[in-house]
Amino acid sequence: MTDLRRVAVTGIGMVTPLGHSTEATWDALMQQKSGIAKIASFDASHFPTQIAAEVKNFNPLEHISEKRHMKYSGSFTRFALAAAEQAFQDAGTRPTESTNTRWGLVAGSGMMTAEYDYWLRFQETMAKNGEVDYAHLGDPNNHFFAAADFAGTQPNTGVALLSSAYDIRGYTSSVHTACASGGQALALAMRAIQRGDADSILAGGFDSMINPFGLADFCLLGALSTRNDEPEKASRPFDLERNGFVLGEGAAFIILEAWDKAVARKARIYAEFAGEGNTLSAYRITDSHPSGDGARQAIQMALDTAGETIDSVDYINAHGTSTKMNDFSETNAIKAVFKEKAKDIPCSSTKSQTGHLIAAAGALEAALSVMSIHTGKIPMTANRTTPDPDCDLDYVVEGPRNREVNVAISNSFGFGGSNSCLLFKSPDGGAA
Amino acid sequence: MTQQVFVTGYAALTAAGDASTTWDAINKQQSHIAPVTYWDGSAWENSLVGEIKDYNPRTLLSNRKLLKVISRYDVLGLNVVKQVVDHSEILTYRDSLSDANAFNEKTGVFVGSPGNNYCQQYPYMPLLAKAQRDTTRFADHLFEEVHPMILLKILPNNVLAYTGVEYGFKGVNQNITHHAVSACQAIMEAYYAIQTGQIDRAVVVAYDSPIEALKLFYYGGVGLLSDSAIRPFSADRNGTILGEGAGAFIIESKRSAEERKAQCYAEILSGATHSEAKGMFALDEDGATLARTMQTAIEKAKINANDVGMVTAHANGTPQSDATEAQAIRTVFGDVKIPVTGFKWCFGHTIAAAGAIEAVMTIQSLNEQVVPGIATTEQCADDCVPLNISQDQQQLEKPVALINSRGIAGGNASLLLKCSL
Repeated sequence: MTDLRRVAVTGIGMVTPLGHSTEATWDALMQQKSGIAKIASFDASHFPTQIAAEVKNFNPLEHISEKRHMKYSGSFTRFALAAAEQAFQDAGTRPTESTNTRWGLVAGSGMMTAEYDYWLRFQETMAKNGEVDYAHLGDPNNHFFAAADFAGTQPNTGVALLSSAYDIRGYTSSVHTACASGGQALALAMRAIQRGDADSILAGGFDSMINPFGLADFCLLGALSTRNDEPEKASRPFDLERNGFVLGEGAAFIILEAWDKAVARKARIYAEFAGEGNTLSAYRITDSHPSGDGARQAIQMALDTAGETIDSVDYINAHGTSTKMNDFSETNAIKAVFKEKAKDIPCSSTKSQTGHLIAAAGALEAALSVMSIHTGKIPMTANRTTPDPDCDLDYVVEGPRNREVNVAISNSFGFGGSNSCLLFKSPDGGAA
Repeated sequence: MTQQVFVTGYAALTAAGDASTTWDAINKQQSHIAPVTYWDGSAWENSLVGEIKDYNPRTLLSNRKLLKVISRYDVLGLNVVKQVVDHSEILTYRDSLSDANAFNEKTGVFVGSPGNNYCQQYPYMPLLAKAQRDTTRFADHLFEEVHPMILLKILPNNVLAYTGVEYGFKGVNQNITHHAVSACQAIMEAYYAIQTGQIDRAVVVAYDSPIEALKLFYYGGVGLLSDSAIRPFSADRNGTILGEGAGAFIIESKRSAEERKAQCYAEILSGATHSEAKGMFALDEDGATLARTMQTAIEKAKINANDVGMVTAHANGTPQSDATEAQAIRTVFGDVKIPVTGFKWCFGHTIAAAGAIEAVMTIQSLNEQVVPGIATTEQCADDCVPLNISQDQQQLEKPVALINSRGIAGGNASLLLKCSL
């Protein structure tokens, strides 16, 4: 496909459990801090899991100036608005009247859009005894109706707010494939620029399931770590003592531009977004294949589409959820692709410090992979003190590592079997 | 070299039945809009909907175990996936191959999904009533009140996931949750994935069931619903009506279709999508974004507006959407009296599924060389003239159709299909 355009990453923004900006998050990551703590936003003391990676002390008014955007946004949409603004500022470009139809937006949007407070109001007015009162709901005088509730609770509310806030009038979409959402959103954006459907795209993910419903959903499945006494040690990917993942929340957005346009405006290019792999495991809903089937093809496809080989990868940002199933399956996928090289490639899970941001995870981890190229530092896998013998790669356990990174890949695998692998290259190494 | 991409199977499920019976209903000018039966809507101001008749999950899906872990929405989607896999006969072809795995890895799945729905949280209401805002009490009663698999039942990507699990397809996939442009975007992305050689073929499916109490409540509350009928482009149009359903396709590269000697029903020429960037509900006053979307699709297909034989309009029956769509059609086609039709009047606005179901109807239009009439619209409104619409069927003169979809949050999408029979 010689006629496909190259894609540059020129801006990064994020709101995470480790900080409210890229710099704050990256610094905390390098300082080996944990974003995981006792849940503060509600009393979770009677849940089996009482810990999470919450975004702390976030005052949306510091980030969002328009009243309209506050009115129609839930907490996670506010994370998105804040992260997007940072990404635009960082890139030093934004849509104008002459470019806005060539600007796009792709977001991996979370699956919970109506927040807990909304449901409390609904239950107390429309389902008093627990059953929905359809006659009352249909009564025009029930006073429950508010247009802002409707506008603020749609699966594409975030996309509506972001596109109107920045006047983005080109290719715009919203996707959801559970934990692969962020990765697949970035890939969709990259493909749209490659084929010429947009010149620049704001792409990322945003999510929060840290509320009584979200926490309950995962507790019911038994998927979360219950290491409530040691929150900062609860997310321990590839460690034998792990007992589930840790919910996180936040948003990450990056600015993607057609390479030649970015060069022409002398933009600071963080990395080339050079390849992506996207596959379906077609195995089970919550389980990944023990052999790594599905994930393996996604990684291979990312290498192939970028024209890279197993020899050129310097860093693997793992999905690394801290569940036996994922960690084992992912390790096997990496071994299947990289063969004898597998143990020589640093491979870390930043979820050990950020928790699992679900629909935002892939976007955040792509941004952190780009930062590893930009800074020449590789984040660590925290808490891997008792190695799982089935997981025997170089997980960067001793602490962040200084190493020149020319090619980094970022894995994301979702409930439902969608797999995403993104490949970023140093801008200096990619003078094709 | 980019690949030509063909539709080699299609299926639908609507209030009017399957692809064939829905097509018949449209041409017999029968509407399948009726009062809601899923709850007692007798006191509701707007209670008309397009429900699947005699909905029974067990007749729609044979896998009983699967029914326990998915939502009603997913049943509709997986039903049309089954239909379209049968219609295209791709499994018969796969069975004849020595390497089914290679086939599966080159088969993608692209989905237009409603995302989450209000009613999916209803199972938590008894627990909220019991907890009385106390989250410790909420946690104490959680395991006795709520189904342990609730999260899996409400995953917005269940149809994508189970299409993979049930049929073994393992290629490139997306699950688009962008309201009423989801289906068109899913078709468009599948088309590009094939055109650029990432995969050889794809299942495309879009599904939705917006017939839930809170959605009807809100759509009515913001003034989008009609209390009588969808009358697109008519002076007395007063809103849309929600319907449920699903549409699906098998699309393939020319090479893949030729290798298995597949029947090709239509060629996908192009797709385009743009955003109005006006927030949730507002629309361009002049339809400029929709016009640009249609124009872009025409340019990408390397044809002229003159080559297009019909427009399948979004035609949702709301005053503002229809007027601005009429203006956009005028902008693109000028004085050319291109026949315009729409299908929502028959089975309702199926939101995330709309573009797929309407593309299924459009393919039947192309293959029978007719442009179905809009039965509910007697006369074109002043703010929509001079649109070439009719209650009666018109002859299709040129074998290319343009399909429009528009959604809340400012999405616009257009597809171009060409008859390949």
